[in-house]
Amino acid sequence: MLLLALSDAHIPERAIDVPLKFRKLLNVPNKIQQVTLLGNCTKSASFLKFVNTISENIVFVRGEFDPATVSTTKNPAEEMPLSTVISQGPFRIGCCNGYTLVPKNDPLSLLTLARQLDVDILLWGGTHNVEAYTLEGKFFINPGSCTGAFSTDWVQEDVEENYKTSEQQEPAEASTNGSNQQPKEIKEEIKEPSNNDSEKSGEDKADIIEDKGNSEEHLQEGKEYEHDSSDDEFDDIDINGGGIPSFCLLDIQDITCTLYIYTYVDNEIKVDKVVYRKD
Amino acid sequence: MSAYSDNMEQAISHIKQQTILMQRSLTQKKLMDALKHCSDMLKELRNPDLSPKLYYELYIIIFDSLSILSQYLVENHPTRHHLADLYELVQYTGNILPRLYLMLTVGVSFMQTKDCPAEEVLKDMIEMCRGVQHPIRGLFLRYYLSQRTKQSLTSDISLDKKFDIQFIITNFIEMNKLWVRLQHQGPLRERDLRTKERKELQILIGSNLVRLSQILDDSFALYRDEVLPQILEQVIQCRDVVSQTYLLDVICQVFPDEFHLGTLSQLLDTTLKLNPDVVINKVVLSLIARLNGFWDRQDDPNAIIQNLNHLKLDSNTDEEEHSADDGESTAEKLDSEPVSRNKFDLFFVFWKYLTKITEERPDLPLHEIIPLVHSIMLLSLKWYPSNLSNVDILYKFCWEKYQDFGKDIPEECEQSFKELFIYPLSTDNFYEIITTCDSFQKLLSVQSITLQKSIINSILDKMVETNTKITDKQHLDKLGAICEPIISVPNNKPKTSILTVSDDLDSELTFFNPEQEKLAKLVHLIYHKNVDINTELLLICKKWYYNGGKQLRFTYPALITAFWKLIRKLHFKSLKRPERKEDYNAKIKQLFKYVSRCNTDLFNVCGLSISDLIFKLNLQTAAIADQLTLSEISYDFFSQAFTIFEESLSDSKVQFQALVNMAQVLQKTRSLYNDEGYYDTLITRCTLHGSKLLKKTDQCRAVYLCSHLWWATELTLIGEEEGVTKNFFREGKRVLECLQRSLRVADSIMDNVQSCQLMVEILGSCCYYFIHGDESETHVGVKYIAGLVELIQANLKGLQLEESGEVQDFTAPSQTIVIGCDGSYICKTLSSSTCMVSSKIPNVRIPDLIAVPVSYFERTLEYIENQKQVDYRFNAITT
Repeated sequence: MLLLALSDAHIPERAIDVPLKFRKLLNVPNKIQQVTLLGNCTKSASFLKFVNTISENIVFVRGEFDPATVSTTKNPAEEMPLSTVISQGPFRIGCCNGYTLVPKNDPLSLLTLARQLDVDILLWGGTHNVEAYTLEGKFFINPGSCTGAFSTDWVQEDVEENYKTSEQQEPAEASTNGSNQQPKEIKEEIKEPSNNDSEKSGEDKADIIEDKGNSEEHLQEGKEYEHDSSDDEFDDIDINGGGIPSFCLLDIQDITCTLYIYTYVDNEIKVDKVVYRKD
Repeated sequence: MSAYSDNMEQAISHIKQQTILMQRSLTQKKLMDALKHCSDMLKELRNPDLSPKLYYELYIIIFDSLSILSQYLVENHPTRHHLADLYELVQYTGNILPRLYLMLTVGVSFMQTKDCPAEEVLKDMIEMCRGVQHPIRGLFLRYYLSQRTKQSLTSDISLDKKFDIQFIITNFIEMNKLWVRLQHQGPLRERDLRTKERKELQILIGSNLVRLSQILDDSFALYRDEVLPQILEQVIQCRDVVSQTYLLDVICQVFPDEFHLGTLSQLLDTTLKLNPDVVINKVVLSLIARLNGFWDRQDDPNAIIQNLNHLKLDSNTDEEEHSADDGESTAEKLDSEPVSRNKFDLFFVFWKYLTKITEERPDLPLHEIIPLVHSIMLLSLKWYPSNLSNVDILYKFCWEKYQDFGKDIPEECEQSFKELFIYPLSTDNFYEIITTCDSFQKLLSVQSITLQKSIINSILDKMVETNTKITDKQHLDKLGAICEPIISVPNNKPKTSILTVSDDLDSELTFFNPEQEKLAKLVHLIYHKNVDINTELLLICKKWYYNGGKQLRFTYPALITAFWKLIRKLHFKSLKRPERKEDYNAKIKQLFKYVSRCNTDLFNVCGLSISDLIFKLNLQTAAIADQLTLSEISYDFFSQAFTIFEESLSDSKVQFQALVNMAQVLQKTRSLYNDEGYYDTLITRCTLHGSKLLKKTDQCRAVYLCSHLWWATELTLIGEEEGVTKNFFREGKRVLECLQRSLRVADSIMDNVQSCQLMVEILGSCCYYFIHGDESETHVGVKYIAGLVELIQANLKGLQLEESGEVQDFTAPSQTIVIGCDGSYICKTLSSSTCMVSSKIPNVRIPDLIAVPVSYFERTLEYIENQKQVDYRFNAITT
């Protein structure tokens, strides 16, 4: 079965809409069995309508900017849970926006939550930054923001660095600067818990299929550095904090969960695939 | 000679029979017999009771039969007979109708021979046709003439073109007269039937104009000076609605576009002289559709405009006079428009016409004028897409008309008005139209609210769809004025009671508002690369949206995001140009003030119903300020958040979530560790609030989560790394204090399941710190964890004792339950893959409930066991 994970749309307060190409791609009624909205997705009637056309089976959790209750077909004021669990085949899948998780986005905190919820896969959001990794035999997936909405988190270091370095470089080099960028994390690599001591603790089951040459060049692209103008154009992605529009699709067959990561870079959709098996 | 047959079958068989006899006579070269048979069959056409349709059927059969005769006549001239003699001879046929058909047949055959005085024959024939004045019979007879002469008039032995044309026009005029007269045949009550029959016959009349167009080919001068004036005169004189409508339409259709361009004013003037019942806009619309089609068919439409001037100069001097006559009144009107008018401007011709028609026909109802204006707008947008003052003039004109008509606007106008507003949205420069045409907004604002809203929605949709950026103050103001009806909500509800709780609740429930959603999206379209101008634009937008009353909660968050974005942009700029950092920082501070102002407005206007939202907006702004090392500002927003927390958040669930969220944000700050002790003040207060939450379970969770406030962790986003970055803010002693306090609360909770669950959660936290550092730093050591494990084991034993004391209901199915991160029970539903989440204890078997902390504890122990393999320190924990 196919499970779609969308998060942090922030329509309309931070973004206008999901990229058109995403909408076209997802416009396949009756293909996807379940949709999870991992927070900050309930402010837009048109967005929810769109989600409803994908599947009527929607699971939602509360993000910090969601109202406390949402109106559903069953209940005009259904309370939005902070965390919930979906059972699919042998998998228990936890969903949580993670805005009450301290420290935010911390792999060990997420692991603790996964243990508490007794889940194999944990879907979370709130960071506007797509990533997926396995830790302690569990699969952690953050689909990022489906609109690439503005994030109030710290701006990624490489983005800031980029602006700093352009000061020192010759204008000619500044424009090619972008290609030297670290690929922004569609973290295909298996991320270990940050602590040194537990570095080898992960028993990683994920087979990673990497899409090479996937590094993004959207930063500073074709940008000319002008010394005397103070009205330079800045990349919207940088302004938004570095997050690109993205979402995840989980294909669950028996004990295998295949994760497809869709990202929207330079008006093109890129797909990455990660396979996770339950022991 | 017998009369015509009684019914169609007989008539048809009679004609067929006579045709066979005629053919036989012809093969035997007995011409006189053949003519007799012809005259016999022609009698069928005398039947006055036939409907036009049936009459036409007979006519077709007879036409074919006469063709046979005609062919014979031509082939055997002059060997067997001379057609001039025959022409004389057939005049002796008894009945007038057969006589004339035969005459025409012979005459036309005669004209195909070389020695024929064609002009005279033609003149004679058309003169003779006057003899039949019965409408249907006359029409068909003349149609026969026109069909028969078609060939000879275009063949090479053709006569003078002018003569041909005159011949056709004469025939056309007579046919039209007959056609009009048909209306008045028969009883009055059958008028509608008559009209229907006439419409069936219209093609007979129209065919003449088609013929004219073919003969004229490209001789424009002839058309303008000879043909059109005569036709138009007939159109005007007949004073018949059906005829006028049809003929003008045919004129528009059959003659070349270039001709129309050259004679526009003649055509348009004609429409002024029509029967008042004729729907003028239909005529004008088809003309304009024609012109627009012409524009589309051109490879280089702009060349047409050049040629147009030329064409116009060719055109008659009559027009010069016209414009001199009307020039004053229209010029007066146009004077106010800052456009220099080219007299050969197509729009000008129509505009002149429009003003004229409203002067001469003050009776014209609004619902006929508006479509007229609409079609002229179509023309203008097609031919002069960049000349938006045209469009503005049209809107202004409508507005004035609207004023004249006062309040009683008939409903049927609504649709026409709607089209008038919607159409420009489909063009490329819709944005310019709505932002630069003052009258667009003026006219829109006097429409009904429903219509206005529907138009505004379309505009906003279009803006979003095309991603049209708003970069200009005037434009924004114009848009604000247009959107006013959906921005401002009439806030006239008298506040009789101080208690507005119910009101707030209502608005809380209706959190979807598509219109406000669109308004909020509009904010994201505001963009100017210059930050100052962009700020100014946002402030204008803020000013507009401020009128929205409680709707602010939909629109202001978007504005705040826009300010955030500007702040970050300025931050990037200052990174790029450190030398201008101070300048940028001043601007950044100003922007934070605007954000603060938005928050205050939100709070003042929307009040308690959205205090949670305002709380979070403050938190996020504080985080952004902190990231820019603006500790003062950050502190200020945090303290704002505290104020809201303390004064306005009352629901215990909301309080818990808000407080933990604050802990999360605080834990990620970096700039507050200054001499003022901001960080210390804030986290102490945060923890204190946590420990004072209403429910003990909430207290417990809040406090153990707050322990992280004394344990900063790496921010990978900004390149911090555990073990590499040295100066993390960490106070292990305080961490332990929090955990201890949390444990005490957990221990004191009456609900054993929750109590045990919380202890396991705290154990999880302990493991977190244990992994994170040595006991000397974290103060969370082996002994403490081992003690906690023992305590949990003891408590769980107590819990299981409780279980054995319970009366078991084994019939109920066993269910898997877990407790979520806020203490809610997550209970799998049997029917689907999803879970029920509730803060209330679910109605399940007690063992299932007890299993929650038990199995969670088991999972934690298993985790500790696993850790022993990678971290030797864990070995010290005995489980």
